Amino acid sequence: MYAVLHPPNFAAQVVAQQRPELRKRPVALIDGEPPADTVVAANKAARGLGVEVGMTRLQAATIPEVVTIRRVHEDEVAAQSILHTIACMFSPRIEYVEIHPGTYALDIDGMNGMFGDEMRLANKLRQRVMTEGFLANVAVAQNFDAALCLALGRTGVSVVPQGGEATALRDLPLHVLNLTAEQAETFKAWGIRTCGQLAALVETDLISRIGQTGKRLYSLARGAWPHLMFPVESNFEDSLVERMELDFPVELLEPLLFLLGRMTDTLLERAKAKARAIASLRVVLHLDGGKRHERIVRPALPLEDKLTLLKLLQLDLETHPPGAAILSLELHAHSAEPYRAQHGLFLPQAPEPGRLEVLLARLRKLLGEERVGSVELKDDHRPNAFRIVPFAPPPPKRSEQRNLAVATALRVCRPPQTIGVVFTGSVPARVFWDGQGYAVREIAGPWRVSGQWWNEANWCREEWDVRLATESAERVCRIAFDPRSRCWYVQGTYD
Amino acid sequence: MASATNLRLQIETALAKRVPAALTLKIKQAPEVFSTGIEEVDAVLGGGIPRGSITEVAGGATTGKTSFALSSIAAITQSGAACAWVDVSDALSPESAAAANIVLKRLLWLRISAERRERITDKPWSRLGQALNATDLLLQAGGFAAIVLDMSDVLPQHIMRVPLSTWYRFRLAAEQARTALIFLSQSPCASSCATLSLRCELAGIQPFRSEKETALFERQRYSLVRERNRNEGSAIVRKKPPVRAEWSAETPWSRVR
Repeated sequence: MYAVLHPPNFAAQVVAQQRPELRKRPVALIDGEPPADTVVAANKAARGLGVEVGMTRLQAATIPEVVTIRRVHEDEVAAQSILHTIACMFSPRIEYVEIHPGTYALDIDGMNGMFGDEMRLANKLRQRVMTEGFLANVAVAQNFDAALCLALGRTGVSVVPQGGEATALRDLPLHVLNLTAEQAETFKAWGIRTCGQLAALVETDLISRIGQTGKRLYSLARGAWPHLMFPVESNFEDSLVERMELDFPVELLEPLLFLLGRMTDTLLERAKAKARAIASLRVVLHLDGGKRHERIVRPALPLEDKLTLLKLLQLDLETHPPGAAILSLELHAHSAEPYRAQHGLFLPQAPEPGRLEVLLARLRKLLGEERVGSVELKDDHRPNAFRIVPFAPPPPKRSEQRNLAVATALRVCRPPQTIGVVFTGSVPARVFWDGQGYAVREIAGPWRVSGQWWNEANWCREEWDVRLATESAERVCRIAFDPRSRCWYVQGTYD
Repeated sequence: MASATNLRLQIETALAKRVPAALTLKIKQAPEVFSTGIEEVDAVLGGGIPRGSITEVAGGATTGKTSFALSSIAAITQSGAACAWVDVSDALSPESAAAANIVLKRLLWLRISAERRERITDKPWSRLGQALNATDLLLQAGGFAAIVLDMSDVLPQHIMRVPLSTWYRFRLAAEQARTALIFLSQSPCASSCATLSLRCELAGIQPFRSEKETALFERQRYSLVRERNRNEGSAIVRKKPPVRAEWSAETPWSRVR
């Protein structure tokens, strides 16, 4: 059994779905290069006022109350992907009928267990499509083409029992058979208006008059033309794209977030329908002046939460704002298996992954990109060589390390502070630091360290550990002498 | 005696809707503590630093504040929990942290740096403001077992200008997030908001070891004075005398030997 879903006048319906305020107004859709642009679709109200497909824009504009809108192909692609997603919910085998935009044929054999009998399935399918803002005809028949003709010719839901295709098609007009202009003219001349009248002809006579296409039309009119189904097996990742063109350039981020929120929601719905989560989002902003601004938000774990994703997008765009007004935007998503974790009552405390992502994005915005993260020591001889890596705590697990004595911590001065040093012989005896003089009570050193003498980044210094004292306080510091700049400085204080 | 019990029961029943158990003493739960990794200090603090409250550690330079905090954080990260270090002066040494046995992947380090033309000794309002905001965000997000707010290099007169309401807010947030919030500063700042108040001092001069010709800085002896511990409160309020613990820290190179 096949169910065919057909949204009549698809282009006009897309406009009504994107801009609900135009739903009750006469709308004509214009396409083509000005001034040769013509009407390609019109809704019922506009057709009632006399708008016809093929009219020029000027002709349509002369009819009062008619709103002329330029056709946006991206919107149609987005609407089609919505219908595609819905069709996928009802059957794993679907075929896209290319000659009728937005039309899908579903193989519903074996789907009774999930959706009930054919009538119930057809009703559920139609209701699901209507909740997305489209009006569609649904027809169910044993023959693929019979179901297609019924969906094209009859409004609402039609279910044809097995063997009843010819009877059901009898009253349909001939245009459902997708005739060429020449064939339509011939049948009109013969006085044949419906499929029933065509099916009543003698097959061999028809073929002898209009050729081999006559056999196909004869079988189609009787609902007996065989069809080999080619199910769509599209790459799911390719469908996770949303595009939007703006009517006027947007400079502020806030109005953009409303659009991004809607687009994220759609992408998330699509991903959730496949039991997947969003692993990364790529925002492409087309800017005024032809530039492109691209940002990628990649949470540590795949997320299913719209608010978290939207917050991450917002914080990222606030940290890296686009340089000019935005003309259009694209949102590409990459899906992955959702994160599943078994929590335990007795496991140590750890930040929740979703909240942690937002927290880190907020902190990066507050302090700077390179200022937030966990530290990783570099395999380098240079003292204090490290890099900052994104904070991603491993799963809570007790790690047993051998207990050593408590280590003395060094508080590093970043950048190192220059000091004045007075010597006794070749050993520092007095240090002047930050406007204060210190006597050197004890000293250990010098420890000569150097490295990377073979390139520009070479370093070399003599380090001393000193116990400095004033009348009231005492501190142990590490001071160093840099022979290249011939300068003394404080590296840090032991605390 | 029986009449007193009856009377109490009657009063409690009458007030049950407004004040539950009006005349019964509330049973105080034993505070949850994190070990500091230093036995001498744990013995004085009754097990370690309390969870879900503020611990302030005050002291000048070279009094062992940072070593103490790193040791505490090491013990917590080794238990599998995540911690954060809010570094107002960008002074944390990753090598010291690694030497203290901290699981670095479980430590979130927030480096707050001075503006380019600003000297570290200049007025630290922007850095302090950023640190307080960052701490606020960390507490609100929750999930961190301990957060260290390191203000050791900020002058006491600057910290004193932080409104008391900030510390009160932090205390409430720490309680809700079950986070041990540790302040490192030169002098106590959080006053009554801190559950545990500690003062760090130098315990005595440990001379650099002179062996043959070369002297070597090997260890330092510190002392920790417990000035207040609210968790030790009893029915009769009385001020307890400060308790002192002495401990020593070794330099990483002397541990290797």
